[in-house]
Amino acid sequence: MSTLRLIAVGVLMHVKMSTRGNFEIATAMIVPIVQATMAVYLLRAADSPHRMIEAAVGAGMMGVWSTVLFGSGGAIQRLRWMGTLEMLIIAPRNPAVTVLPITIATGLTGTYTMIATLGWGWAIYGIRPEFAHPWLFALALPACILGLGMFGLLMASTFVVMRNANALCNTLEYPIWLLSGMLVPITVLPGWTGPLADILPTTWGARGVHEAVSGGAVLPAVAWCLGISLVCFVLGAVSMSFVERRARAAATLALS
Amino acid sequence: MRLLFVGGLYAYRALFNWAGPAMFIGTLLVGPIFQLLFFAYLGRQLGIADDGFYIVGNAVLAASSLCLFGGSMAVLNERRFGTLGHVLLSPRSRAITWIGRGLPYAGNGILVAAFTLTVGTLLLGLKIPAGAWPGLVLSLTSAALACAAFGLVLGAFALRFRDAWLINNTAVTLMILFSGTTVPREHLPHWMTVVGDAIPVTHAAAAARGLVGGRSLAEVLPDLGRELLIALAYAVLAGVLLKVFEAESRRTASLDVL
Repeated sequence: MSTLRLIAVGVLMHVKMSTRGNFEIATAMIVPIVQATMAVYLLRAADSPHRMIEAAVGAGMMGVWSTVLFGSGGAIQRLRWMGTLEMLIIAPRNPAVTVLPITIATGLTGTYTMIATLGWGWAIYGIRPEFAHPWLFALALPACILGLGMFGLLMASTFVVMRNANALCNTLEYPIWLLSGMLVPITVLPGWTGPLADILPTTWGARGVHEAVSGGAVLPAVAWCLGISLVCFVLGAVSMSFVERRARAAATLALS
Repeated sequence: MRLLFVGGLYAYRALFNWAGPAMFIGTLLVGPIFQLLFFAYLGRQLGIADDGFYIVGNAVLAASSLCLFGGSMAVLNERRFGTLGHVLLSPRSRAITWIGRGLPYAGNGILVAAFTLTVGTLLLGLKIPAGAWPGLVLSLTSAALACAAFGLVLGAFALRFRDAWLINNTAVTLMILFSGTTVPREHLPHWMTVVGDAIPVTHAAAAARGLVGGRSLAEVLPDLGRELLIALAYAVLAGVLLKVFEAESRRTASLDVL
């Protein structure tokens, strides 16, 4: 119960903090809309108007990943600059549980990007948010966001040990967009990328959402997403304990 | 000259201190390659343009992002490290001081863009005529200079606003859209192409694509000239804004407010 309370209070705190940062707000508000606009013009150029809703949803998921990635990396960097990362890590809890609220909070604020992208597409370009399986979309979207958040947690362990975690985020944005098939179908990628994509929760999360939009088997993709997310959480917890000890031994937590 | 080059180099080493070899390779060399691959595969899937369009466009963009953030960091990080006041106390020419700070990032941008272009052509099998390379280097250089100047303009806002990163992030994303490096300009609305004409990258990317497509250096010179004019215009604007915002920061004692 106290763990749940810790997570709930942590999520609330981090949501509050992220909604007061101009950088986070701009990343969450403006960038996904620009990406959605780009996707719309690309599909118009390709004369594929029937795929507009898929483009809007894909751009929304890209925005969620950016928010989770930059939000988590940025939050840990900010904690480091403010000198509170050490206090968070020395709390008598598993470090994964203390960092988990950060990724959950960024995932929650990331849901805005999906809403904003769909709203923008509807208001400006007349893309009606009509889904083949609306109820399953409502199930697949949170599962996808959870998958992105758990993968973010796994990444967060490296953010803790690296002095410039936010710079690493720039490198991780496009590979996950590409491998997860958020906007570019995985089928157009070289065959060797298939196994890599299959082990990412983001791939199955994105597949579940796309299937809910276009009409396909949503539940198996959601199940895979949740299963791999659980594995990511366990690996993230183990990894977080390891890097915590390493950061303590090397005395790098406070270095900015 | 010493202030321009040596001062700029020292500032670069001090402010860009976070980029160790691993971080440099990961962030500045690998990151743009994935961006290139993302748009190239998207282009392939949609059939809008060939690989060359995306390889060349994203190579120029690789220079732009780094130079834009670098030019901006040249001002922003001075503030973060608490040394901005010392720089502004110096009795030397502001214009030379700030231009010197932008130059190393421009050089870095050319290196990153050339690497991105080379790796992109090798990975996706694009053949670039040997005679096109000198012109391509000129295109990448003009884009890098224009973006470094544009970065200084954005950096000037760091003297006035506390969180200038959001401006940079939004500017880079808008640049990808308006410059026509991912969506061919003929498919963009007219007003976007007008904005695109006034920002860095657009004309350099057009020149680079022309060269890869078989045009001669003489034929793309007008595009290169426009890109260099844009670089000059943004450098002048940066100088004016830095002067105005410096005076404003002194007046409101907000120079070191983080």
